[in-house]
Amino acid sequence: MTDPPGSPDTVRPVLDCARLARRFGERVAVDDVSLRIAPGETYGLLGPNGAGKTTTIRMVCGLLRPDAGTVRVADRPVSTAAGPAKQLIGFVPQDVALYPDLSVRENLRFFGRLYRLPRRRLDRRVDEVLDLIDLTARAGDRVDSLSGGMRRRLNIGAGLVHSPTLLVLDEPTVGVDPQSRHAILESVNRFGEEGMAVLYTTHYMEEAERLCDRVGIIDRGRLVAEGSPRELVRLVAERDRIRLTAAGGLSGYAEACRRLPRVEGLARGGDHGDVVELVVKDARSLLPDLLDLAHEQGVDIRSVEIDEPDLEAVFLHLTGTALRE
Amino acid sequence: MTALAVTRATLTRVLRDRTALFFMVLLPVAIIVVIGVTVRGFDQFRVGLVPDPRSGPVAQELAADLAKAPGLRTRSYADAADARTALRRAELDAVILMPAGLDESVRAGRSVTVRVLVEPSGSAGHAAVSSVSAVVADHAGRLQAARFATGQSGGTFDGNLALARGAERASSPVAVRAETVNGQSDYLPLGYSYSTPTMLVLFVFINALAGGAAIVQTRRTGVYARALAAPVPARALVAGETIAYLLLALLQSLLIVGIGALAFDVAWGDPLAAGVLVTVWALVGTGAGVLAGALFRTPEQVHAIGPALGIGLGMLGGCMWPLALVPGWLRTAGHAVPQAWAVDAWTTLLSRDGDLSSVARELTVLTAFAVALLTCASLALRHRLTTSPGA
Ligand SMILES: Nc1ncnc2c1ncn2[C@@H]1O[C@H](COP(=O)(O)OP(=O)(O)OP(=O)(O)O)[C@@H](O)[C@H]1O
Ligand SMILES: [Mg+2]
Repeated sequence: MTDPPGSPDTVRPVLDCARLARRFGERVAVDDVSLRIAPGETYGLLGPNGAGKTTTIRMVCGLLRPDAGTVRVADRPVSTAAGPAKQLIGFVPQDVALYPDLSVRENLRFFGRLYRLPRRRLDRRVDEVLDLIDLTARAGDRVDSLSGGMRRRLNIGAGLVHSPTLLVLDEPTVGVDPQSRHAILESVNRFGEEGMAVLYTTHYMEEAERLCDRVGIIDRGRLVAEGSPRELVRLVAERDRIRLTAAGGLSGYAEACRRLPRVEGLARGGDHGDVVELVVKDARSLLPDLLDLAHEQGVDIRSVEIDEPDLEAVFLHLTGTALRE
Repeated sequence: MTALAVTRATLTRVLRDRTALFFMVLLPVAIIVVIGVTVRGFDQFRVGLVPDPRSGPVAQELAADLAKAPGLRTRSYADAADARTALRRAELDAVILMPAGLDESVRAGRSVTVRVLVEPSGSAGHAAVSSVSAVVADHAGRLQAARFATGQSGGTFDGNLALARGAERASSPVAVRAETVNGQSDYLPLGYSYSTPTMLVLFVFINALAGGAAIVQTRRTGVYARALAAPVPARALVAGETIAYLLLALLQSLLIVGIGALAFDVAWGDPLAAGVLVTVWALVGTGAGVLAGALFRTPEQVHAIGPALGIGLGMLGGCMWPLALVPGWLRTAGHAVPQAWAVDAWTTLLSRDGDLSSVARELTVLTAFAVALLTCASLALRHRLTTSPGA
């Protein structure tokens, strides 16, 4: 990893959306969404079906006119007109959008031409992108002869030919086998490292946790929380749980644990059983102390389990609904 | 310039599509051959002649006149029943029954009726009748002159008939040209000269409509929607597709013109006028195609409606048969469709040695059609792309 991404509050943000709103008839699809993404930052927009992710993205990319609010990319306003800001955005739509009867290379060249890449640069970038999405060997094949996963990869590649500053991906891993999915996530990770700002929507928790520097949780069109995955998790009143199993009586040990700083409570134990369950503030940093204490008291710890709350729990907490229906 | 990226993609796709090429090239040529052979029959009507066994010199002369007439190909039948059978089988367009005792009746000053049989179906029969009438009228004029001379100044009927014949040959005070068919029919191009330009008109239009299906298909791939995320205005996408389908229409026209000239000996007339006509017609087709591409929801709809519409308009506009053969009201109605104007213009260029100025009216009307269609098409497609690009 090169430099860690700066915060959009300190660095000039690549993407700056302010108070976006959009309704379709009576249905409010996006309601007062503001978000900023710093260079090199990967931002995950996490939400269930119909939350407003695609609608937000379409406004960010200048494909849909917001009812209210503004979008700026590198300080240039984005609108549905063909302004210069669009040159900076790479858009990867949720559904594969390619010419099925053109070859892989022809598709990449087509999208490169839309961004007016000069001939030399176009040739070079198409080769680079082919390499990046691992389709060099299939460059001459028609898109409709590719597997679903390959099409998804090409779908992403088509958004990269013009080397965008901001890459916008709408659920790029939906309907993809685990191996392709892994490859896609790896590349997205690399884009961030290379300094590209990435806006990424998903309803897969693991992806957001794994990829994103920051996550915004969107539900019924509203951004209900925002922060790094850890920050978000900390939002939840829940704490880590540590579950220690030992041979022999643990009542003395449990008491000693309870007196340690950062141990907030004893969920179970303190009797003659062989299990102690503690609620603690930061399980990982506390664990060495707990093991030292066991050693002092001659307690033989057989196993340790740590349950950290995850985004799933955060989501449940914030919206009252499970993320995946 | 981004428009040309779209043009290029579309051209690559179409030229790679064997089905599209079949409809663009092979099918039109096949139909040109079929219609060319069929319409060739119009230049000479096939007439069966059933002579009276007791025929005299007058009857023989009439038979000879009919055989000599340029628009008729006569064949004698000894038996009227045989001739009727041939007529029923459409081997003949008409059958002439020579009146019994023609000579005696004429000499006696009685009037005579020549009966011509035609089948109720088939316009060729009625057209043949007018050809026959012209020959008979000519003949009757001569008889009348001879009879008049005999009554006024004496001499024999036969002698005066010979005089009349001689006088007619020496100086013809009023020249009459026999009309083969009604209306402007003597201007009608025949054979491949008829079928090639009309099939050009028909197929360039139908093919352009099929291009509309490809636009609908592209709409549904989401490529347009995605392209609008690039710094590309919707009008560039519309322009790109329009240019592509215009080029395809021109290419198809050139192929048909070339094949017509080389294989079927079609003389396309004044090159400038023909070039302008081909271009304006390609613009009309392109406008219709892009409009279809904007209006329809599924490619299947376009495939179902497009060819039927194209053929219907082609029929109305005189691509399948000459509008000269249809009733006047239908001819007028036919001119509500651009096809009729294009066919008229080709007829003028091919049969009347027309030039740019003689088809100016037709070209003006066609240009108006093209402008109207292209304007509607780009507005509709732009609207479609910016409001619901993926649908
Ligand atoms: N063009 C449209 N016309 C009418 N309603 C729409 C339109 N686009 C989106 N909506 C509605 O707006 C809401 C948000 O839709 P959106 O596509 O943004 O959700 P999403 O978060 O992308 O969902 P998914 O995970 O299923 O892709 C939904 O209720 C949807 O029905
Ligand atoms: Mg979506």
